[in-house]
Amino acid sequence: MKPDLRPPNPNPSGTNAGRRFEKVILRLVKGGPERLAIEAGEIDAIVDPESGSAILLPEAQRALIERKSRFRNLVGLASDWYWEQDENYRFVSCAGATVESSGFGDESIIGKALWELAIDNMSEADWQTHRRQLEWRTTFRDLEVRRVDRAGEVRYLSVSGEPVFDDSDQFKGYNGITRDITERRQAEAVLQEPNRFSRATLDALAPHVGVLDAAGVVLLVNKAWRVYAATHAGMGTGVIEGANYLAACDDAQGGERVDGIAIAAGIRQVIAGERMLFRYDHACDSPVGRRWFMLSATGVAGDTAARAVVSREDVTERKRGELLLALEHTVARSLADADDTTVALKAVIRAVCEAQDWDCGRYFRLHPAAGELRFEESWGVAGVAVGQFLEKSRGMVFRPGAGLAGRVFQSGQPLWVLDGTQDAGVSPTALAPETGADGAFVFPVMADDRTIGVLAFSSRTVREPDDRMLQAVRSIGSQLGRFLQRQQAADALRRSEARFRRLTELSSDWYWEQDSDFRFTRFVGCGVLGAGEVFGKTRWELPNIVLGEAEWAEHKSQLAAQWSFCDFEFAAVHPDGQLGYYCISGEPVYDEAGTFTGYCGTGLDITRRKRAEIALRESEARLRALAGLSSD
Amino acid sequence: MRHKKTDRSASGPAATTVVVMCLYIANSAPNSVRAIANLEAICKEHLKDNFKLEIIDVLEYPLRALADGIVVTPSLAKMSPSPAAKIIGNLSDKSSVLRALGIQG
Repeated sequence: MKPDLRPPNPNPSGTNAGRRFEKVILRLVKGGPERLAIEAGEIDAIVDPESGSAILLPEAQRALIERKSRFRNLVGLASDWYWEQDENYRFVSCAGATVESSGFGDESIIGKALWELAIDNMSEADWQTHRRQLEWRTTFRDLEVRRVDRAGEVRYLSVSGEPVFDDSDQFKGYNGITRDITERRQAEAVLQEPNRFSRATLDALAPHVGVLDAAGVVLLVNKAWRVYAATHAGMGTGVIEGANYLAACDDAQGGERVDGIAIAAGIRQVIAGERMLFRYDHACDSPVGRRWFMLSATGVAGDTAARAVVSREDVTERKRGELLLALEHTVARSLADADDTTVALKAVIRAVCEAQDWDCGRYFRLHPAAGELRFEESWGVAGVAVGQFLEKSRGMVFRPGAGLAGRVFQSGQPLWVLDGTQDAGVSPTALAPETGADGAFVFPVMADDRTIGVLAFSSRTVREPDDRMLQAVRSIGSQLGRFLQRQQAADALRRSEARFRRLTELSSDWYWEQDSDFRFTRFVGCGVLGAGEVFGKTRWELPNIVLGEAEWAEHKSQLAAQWSFCDFEFAAVHPDGQLGYYCISGEPVYDEAGTFTGYCGTGLDITRRKRAEIALRESEARLRALAGLSSD
Repeated sequence: MRHKKTDRSASGPAATTVVVMCLYIANSAPNSVRAIANLEAICKEHLKDNFKLEIIDVLEYPLRALADGIVVTPSLAKMSPSPAAKIIGNLSDKSSVLRALGIQG
């Protein structure tokens, strides 16, 4: 029921209307106390028993009008226009000074719900949420909608409303206000543009970037940081805006504890201004293997809450590459230092195991004659299980195509099994003798594009190899293959040389070698002098050689020209004063680079033959002399 | 401002007398607002929680006022305990209010 705001004139004193009003009042109020109260100015309204309505007294009416006016002014200050909706949320009224310019005035909104208007920033989900608010009869504030006005300009409107109920608490609709916030939003957009640019730039960075305040609380993180914090376990898990990164580092557990303490200390130094830059490499174990990170903390100067920018870059690929390169170098060094096949094989297998954190490795060598791979060498970490596994491997033989080793031999390609159950087409039981029921990594050992053996590693930590890993095992297989091939060739050469020497020893009295200055470096057998007497001397420096100057000159010129010489004869004075006769042959020696390194050759003691020849010549001479005498 | 039923149930012992009152006002007109404030202060000081008050806006419910015999507002009607009493005005005379409510000042 609406109040009766009679009389029409709020200031009746001194007027006819005022006097008539007083008469009405006095007619209505007959009681003494009521009249006294009216005269004392303590009464606001009188109820007219005839009309059943309340009549406000002038003072009260003025006060209420003023109050209503003030309220409207306040609402007017806070809003651009007012609206009312019915119980179906359709606009039933809309009034305000700026309603036309808002973009709502250029179409009839009466009879339409808010979501039936041309609003372009609300999704269906947004509208569902809003409708749910309305159905729950809740007051909504600052619902921001965007629309294009008649002039084609984008307008931002903030809509607030509250439910209206009648006397019997029946829902009657919504009343509310709308403010045009276009200018504010445009100003905010201008202000936020640099922030958006910064944010977009940060989010585009691959490293995880976070900004810390003086206490280590994260003020800002980029997308990469947020993703990592949400998806990885260990230090930094869940640390985003509002969390304390230093506290998370301090609380790191297990293998990350030392790294956490070091990182927290370094960042604190940066925050305190004791250093401008802190760098730290650290590793984290994850379900997909170990990952490496390079953390950098840089100080932030200026009057801002930010004190340090922490950047954490995933350098796993680079680190793995470095480790594999180091492994290749280790293998090369091991092979260079090794003087036999066994040592080399053990060293290589151990280097690979230690670099990859694998338990053990075995080498199966191809025996061409039998056409099969046979166990040759192994290395494993200390442990009963590994020891038993390697012991069972002794005597193991694979034919081409049989087992992992046979398949690798046949294909010439690496093969891996992540654990004993994941190799397609091969049962775990069948693989167990080869893998120990763990993962396995098998790759060929190649020489001259032929597979000469297979290296097989077993471990729980075998994981899917990447391209760099496959490149590394090919390199290691090739290095080892070349070494083994050289060793085989060297063994063959040694055997050949041994046979040759045995033959030489049978056909000569001694074998000798000289350096590039023709000084004896080796002397085997029985010659002119003992070995100890000739080492370090040239042939012409030996004291007991009897040879003419012309012969020496010719021999030296042959040597200087690096010619082979054959059956060079000379005499030597024996300790008993007798002459011995010797015949030597030699040929120049060159190293792999073609550089002259000296001579080697054989010698024969021809004393008996020479003496016989001398005796024969002397006999012939005597006979000739006798014949001459007789003929004479 | 529309004051409807404002119910303040007594939370004291059952033996304590609860004063039931009805205050008739005219929206937020000056004397009505003053009467509410004065009555609030008196109740708080003397009745604690032992009162039950209904505030009726005669601009909204004039017939209710007429039915209760109220002609001018603000007016305070004491319903119980007996005897019933009525005080007219903005209740600034505290002693009169206490006397009407049967409270020893």
